[in-house]
Amino acid sequence: MARGRELFRYCATRLALAPLMLWLIASLVFLLLRVAPGDPVDAVLGSRAPEAAKAALRSSLGLDQSLWNQYFNFLSKLVHGDLGNALINNESVRSIISKTLPASLELGITALIIAAVLGLAVGFSGIARPEGKFDFAGRFYGIGTYALPPFWAAMLIQLVFAVMLGWLPVGGRFPPSLIPPEGSGFLIFDSVISGNWAALQGSIRHLVLPACTLGLLLSGVFTNALRLNLNRTLKSDYVESARSRGLSEVQVVLRHALPNALLPVLTIAGITVASLIGGALLIEVTFSWPGIAMSLYESINQRDYPVVQGIVVAIAALVVMVSVAVDLLVAMLDPRIRY
Amino acid sequence: MAVDLKNRCVTDRRRSRLQASVLIGFVLAFSQSACQPKRQSERLTVASAGRISSLDPALASTTGVLQVLSALGDTLYIRGTKGKLQPQLAASKPEVSDDGLSLTIPLRRDVLFHDGTRFDANAMAFSLKRFLRIGSQRYLLNDRIAEIETPSPFELRLRLKQPSSSIESLLTSPYLTPVSPKAYADHADRFLNDRFVGTGPYVLNSFRNTQQRLLPFRSYWGAAPNNVGLDLINLSNSTALFGALISGEVDVLLSNSIDEDQKRALSERADKALLRESKGPAMNITFVTLRTNSPPMQRQTVRRALAHSLDRSLISARVSYAQREPLRSLIPPSLRGGKTKPWPAYNLATARKLFQQAGYCSGRRLQVPFTFRTNVPSDRLMALTWQAQLKRDLPDCVQMTLNGVESTTVYKQLSEGSFEAVILDWSGSYPDPEAYLSPLLSCKRSEGNVCEAGEAVDGGTFWTEPRLQEALRRSDSLQGKARLQELATVDAMAAQGVPYIPVWFVAPKAWAQLRLNPPTFNGSGLVNLDQLGERR
Repeated sequence: MARGRELFRYCATRLALAPLMLWLIASLVFLLLRVAPGDPVDAVLGSRAPEAAKAALRSSLGLDQSLWNQYFNFLSKLVHGDLGNALINNESVRSIISKTLPASLELGITALIIAAVLGLAVGFSGIARPEGKFDFAGRFYGIGTYALPPFWAAMLIQLVFAVMLGWLPVGGRFPPSLIPPEGSGFLIFDSVISGNWAALQGSIRHLVLPACTLGLLLSGVFTNALRLNLNRTLKSDYVESARSRGLSEVQVVLRHALPNALLPVLTIAGITVASLIGGALLIEVTFSWPGIAMSLYESINQRDYPVVQGIVVAIAALVVMVSVAVDLLVAMLDPRIRY
Repeated sequence: MAVDLKNRCVTDRRRSRLQASVLIGFVLAFSQSACQPKRQSERLTVASAGRISSLDPALASTTGVLQVLSALGDTLYIRGTKGKLQPQLAASKPEVSDDGLSLTIPLRRDVLFHDGTRFDANAMAFSLKRFLRIGSQRYLLNDRIAEIETPSPFELRLRLKQPSSSIESLLTSPYLTPVSPKAYADHADRFLNDRFVGTGPYVLNSFRNTQQRLLPFRSYWGAAPNNVGLDLINLSNSTALFGALISGEVDVLLSNSIDEDQKRALSERADKALLRESKGPAMNITFVTLRTNSPPMQRQTVRRALAHSLDRSLISARVSYAQREPLRSLIPPSLRGGKTKPWPAYNLATARKLFQQAGYCSGRRLQVPFTFRTNVPSDRLMALTWQAQLKRDLPDCVQMTLNGVESTTVYKQLSEGSFEAVILDWSGSYPDPEAYLSPLLSCKRSEGNVCEAGEAVDGGTFWTEPRLQEALRRSDSLQGKARLQELATVDAMAAQGVPYIPVWFVAPKAWAQLRLNPPTFNGSGLVNLDQLGERR
């Protein structure tokens, strides 16, 4: 009961601190964007537009106001949940996020599943004979995939499987010859709901390469984490005690060692989810995946302040939520955890 | 015996590896032929770079958007394949008043918008006024148009602030394509990003930032498109675009933002008759901007010496496999109206002589800090090659140091005079020599050869010539060849002063699969999407 109260207090504190964290992040992004050289007006009008035209647009966008004014305008809107409108085409930032976030989540979740399955399988494969061939291969795989430059790996995979072999599409999220199903923005889910099997097949075909690439690159983290934790757990007293009670090695590993070794992996998965949302940029760019990271990248290039601010705040909010959820889950699974 | 056994094992293992490799090879070869994407529709898939954030003509500026708008909408005039100005929605050439301050344009009477409403002078006036109110490039019209009138239902009159012969070319711009007043009633003062209702040969069937579907407009006034529709896709990088064409995933590829080596690979495939390749008129020029209001570039001799030292052919060959063509004018060749090349040609002896005249080469070297945009790969390569070429050719006269800066920073700091020499590029807002000369050379206030306010300052050269502004103004009241001649004079004046050193121009290219006709371009450098079709 006391533990439950502790956990509740911990979560409440974390959630109460979330607005503070978001405010700090939003302020930092606001400031960094203004400090960075360049001007959204150049992106809208072109670099050679007359100064008078630039000044007029700057004024209409409120960019000629003092930094404090701009900052307080931004904050007061943010408090009311208004992320503003894009400077480039006046589209609401909320709409941009709602269009692009499902694409990133679809890619991220699939990649995470692939990474977890692949990474854990490889990490687990060497456990039968530590320092054996499989264990060595697993270690090599873990370090290798972690160290692979994402851009290079993505391009290589794209060239081999899409260009040379022609197995899968080169890029994009949906076949150009079909109309994407309306709905949540998660195309696989929407295709299933609408019973549009051609759309489902098309969505999956487009998802395979980016998701497998991202999954492959992330899987090394899981492999290493599981290998290390499992090795350590297998040497712990309670495992020795289980063995001494005459349990088979399979039972020892699956019932006693693995669940404990997986707990830190869960935390790593949480951190990975958080970083996935914004961190899949190179994959999104290589595979022309219309996700939130790509939007962020384009908006930074165009110095579209409201879009950059809005996306960063949205990603930060997601990171906070995921991190609290993971903490809760770990606490529920591991009775030893105290807050 | 043991050694024999071991050798046999090794041999067996090698053989089985070989067999496995052959098997894998067969599987891959089979799969390659078996897994080619199947065509799911009769529409053509056309790929280009970059996402489209808005289809509102008032916001259009990138080539990708202009390309789509050129298929969805019509303009009053169009530059045909041979570069000649032709009426499109206009019924004939404009009637210009004697004082040059009024332009009367008769309009076609058989044109419908995609929503079924009729195109007339009021619709055209609505669209132009809308652009003047909210258009991102409205300054192009605001400087010229005083009033828009509709004297009759099919007659449009533009009252000008001053005579402007370049306005006819301006009216070919896809961002001035008319939109249906009915469909845009709620968007008269704000952008409509994901819809477009115009008069063009195609109707927008669906829009996403990365995919658009265009279907033929059944009530189109002109010739029907050669295809049953287009699926336009926007991919974000060069390898994806290249791969999509090679793998047969797309039918047509537009060349903007394709890497040079991939362009060359596609051209080689076209030479081997594996693809069809077409080249359009160049609209993009690259040049070096020299800051002329402070030493050492203040001296014309130094600028001329540098201009003579630039081996364009060599640099183009190294940077772009000679796909970018050397340029010695600020006007792209397709718009020049002649073959004059006023800028100094590569001539080492002259360059050395000029450097010596300026006091360099005998123990003193000119230091040139050369800035390039880090996010433009060809800029970096050009800078590196020119640096190496100068080191080879004139090591005792000039030393170039390189400085990479992100493009947004370059544009921001250009007018502040931050860069002694910087490589930039420019595409005119409309296909006319004036769209190159004015934005690069105009000056509003000057003292001697130093411009204190105007485009020359915004462009970072700070250079002007007292007669130049007058010649530019005069050219706007002339027509035809006389006008082109006057603009060529302006180009020659700039060549004499050398505030810029033109480097090369980039002609747009498009590639199509063999079963299709070769793509054609209009005079504005845009592909005629309605003419794409199966070869008959």
